[in-house]
Amino acid sequence: MQTEPTTVQTDPTDAQTQPTDMQTQPTAIQTDTQTEPGASQAQPTSAGDSNPIRDAIAEAIGEHKVILFMKGTPEAPACGFSARTVAALQALDAPFAAVDVLPDPRIRQELSAISNWPTIPQLFANGELIGGCDIVTEMFESGELAEALQ
Amino acid sequence: MASAEEIKQRIEASIPGAQADVEDTTGGGDHFRATVTATAFEGRTRIEQHRLVYDVFGAEIGGPIHALSLKTQSPAQTPPQ
Repeated sequence: MQTEPTTVQTDPTDAQTQPTDMQTQPTAIQTDTQTEPGASQAQPTSAGDSNPIRDAIAEAIGEHKVILFMKGTPEAPACGFSARTVAALQALDAPFAAVDVLPDPRIRQELSAISNWPTIPQLFANGELIGGCDIVTEMFESGELAEALQ
Repeated sequence: MASAEEIKQRIEASIPGAQADVEDTTGGGDHFRATVTATAFEGRTRIEQHRLVYDVFGAEIGGPIHALSLKTQSPAQTPPQ
């Protein structure tokens, strides 16, 4: 499968003007997208925003029709639950963007704060949380998943 | 570290009308699979049903409870499979 990773810079302005630990630990979420390579470059509107990671996540959810937050990548999932969720999407030939939450624990923290969902993976379609591995698997088996991804 | 029995009791004590079957999938006390039937699930989406169960454990999910795999249904629903 061909994927081109794109980088969502969470707050490049802040990183340039106020060199902090953000420089040594760049706050970027990597989005592997199969549909819109290079399409998602976050442009924060407020340099003084206190929560750039949360903003970048919310923006990524809004920008991608189907987006999966997972451990590892679709090509190399780092967790069985993430692997099963990817397999369900691939079985449907559903294009999806993927974000690896492992590089920065804050991604998972902020994601769960947004979604009110404690575990990884998390699948979103059309801006809405579809569910984690259990729900996605259940919906795949019942045929509901294909409809939810429309 | 928790036992399957402890997880079961906490779910049943916290969710009205809940009956839970819990399995420790690895034997390590941190990966569980639960099937939960509860009257409280009626009229709720799967997401809402799972949230009710996750809420029983709060921050323990992803902490000491590494994984809690769920299947939820209301008593009125035909059990899947």
